[in-house]
Amino acid sequence: MEQILANGLYLGAQYALIALGLTLIFALMNVLNFAHGQMYVLGGFVTYTVYAQLGLPFVAGLFASAVTLAIIGALIEYFLFRPVIRRSSREESTMLLAAGIAFFLDAVILLVFGEKQRGVPKIINGVLNWDFRLIMPYDRILIGFLAILSIVSFILFMQYSKTGRAMRALAQDRVAAQLQGVNVDRYSMIGFALGAMLAGLVGGLLVTITGVNLGMGGPTSIKAFMMVMIGGAGVISGAIAGGFILGMLESIGLSVLSQYGDITYLLIFASLMVFLSIRPQGLMGKPWG
Amino acid sequence: MNEMLKFDNVELYYDHVYALKGVSIDLREGETVALIGANGAGKSSILRAITGLSKTRSGEVRYLGKRIDGLNPAEIVKMGIAMVPEGRRVFPHMSVKDNLLMGAFTRSDKADIARTLEMVLGRFPRLKERYSQMGGTLSGGEQQMMVIGRALMAKPKLLLLDEPSLGIAPKLVQDIARSIVAINRDENVSVLLVEQNSRMALSISNRAYALSTGSIVLSGNSKELMQDDRIKAAYLGGDL
Repeated sequence: MEQILANGLYLGAQYALIALGLTLIFALMNVLNFAHGQMYVLGGFVTYTVYAQLGLPFVAGLFASAVTLAIIGALIEYFLFRPVIRRSSREESTMLLAAGIAFFLDAVILLVFGEKQRGVPKIINGVLNWDFRLIMPYDRILIGFLAILSIVSFILFMQYSKTGRAMRALAQDRVAAQLQGVNVDRYSMIGFALGAMLAGLVGGLLVTITGVNLGMGGPTSIKAFMMVMIGGAGVISGAIAGGFILGMLESIGLSVLSQYGDITYLLIFASLMVFLSIRPQGLMGKPWG
Repeated sequence: MNEMLKFDNVELYYDHVYALKGVSIDLREGETVALIGANGAGKSSILRAITGLSKTRSGEVRYLGKRIDGLNPAEIVKMGIAMVPEGRRVFPHMSVKDNLLMGAFTRSDKADIARTLEMVLGRFPRLKERYSQMGGTLSGGEQQMMVIGRALMAKPKLLLLDEPSLGIAPKLVQDIARSIVAINRDENVSVLLVEQNSRMALSISNRAYALSTGSIVLSGNSKELMQDDRIKAAYLGGDL
């Protein structure tokens, strides 16, 4: 039991961080960022390069992942989403653009980093063993802790900084935010950069546990969308709830259901369909959108 | 008195439908000017043209002598024009405090912002009681006070009010009218007021323009307009 909870919390913290980035971009720009998983993979490869290949400290790798993805996010917003949103009010346009960016990033990752699975040296050795009731390697505990720390800092930033307040205002009422002097273009760019940065940060964190490979992008995007659907699109608390719920479900499924074969995600998808048909706006979303 | 705002022959279209055809108005420093007229007459379009929310097609909008048509809303707010939008548009999931602080978004002097906050809370003590409540949970009248307070937080020279009496209990309409007069008098703020409640608008303004289908049809001193038979018939009759 303790083991399942601990695994769920650890997974949930990573997931919540991914979902936060996705939901932030959706709330600010009404854009479904299908390339979110690819941004996560890219973050993993950047940390791999800096930490495993160049031999710099792990923290430097994390920092490089976050900064690289923030810059890529800002560039994508400025050169791709901004002109498309300006010319087209149809939501399909940005969806197709996001899907195109996902394929493009997949190709870039393939060219630059190759198709092989890559891992990095352990950041700390040793395993916590609490009476065989709870067994968890120290590196997982550290990564889980860093993820939770990032979530808390993100919430504090959104709640108390002037930039965070402006982004919340923009998400709640675009016109009113403009009338207070919030520059929509500028804050869309900051928001997109921040969302991409979160994806890159998780990629950098998780590369130490799971390694990274080209194929992880698509499935990660799908998981991120599931979390956002569970919690309610565009709501920060919803993304966090959705992340921890999915992490917990996966953890329970893997230990309880493994004897019946690989059916955890089958069940999760089936229950998600039932859940969404009853509550399409998710746990904390607004029924009107 | 110095000229604060001037519209010179402004045209504004939504797609291919005109909202303003050749409107010229002006507002001098310290004045309260009302725009009255029926729904769809173009009153709100004038405000949208000032704040940059809608782009004008031709003509000039000048504020303190500078042309402002073509600027974006953020730049215009920074120049000292704050707007209380129609339908209030509170930030529903933000506390009263954060709603008010958003109004000071373009300012950076923390001590000065704190002084303005104190002034706003002094003017609307109800907001002090609701300080940490979410904006969306306030009553209509309280929300209206909050968005007027939010606009004052920008320390504007010109305050634009779009239908502040809409959907407010009649008793509170008087309170709001009184605070508009007080703000204009005490805070050195000029006011441009859009209202369908013409009686209220004329009673608290110095001058007024009456609009119909995108043009100015009458203008003049508010006290005199209140006695004007055409105004009485069109705007002050019991049926409106």
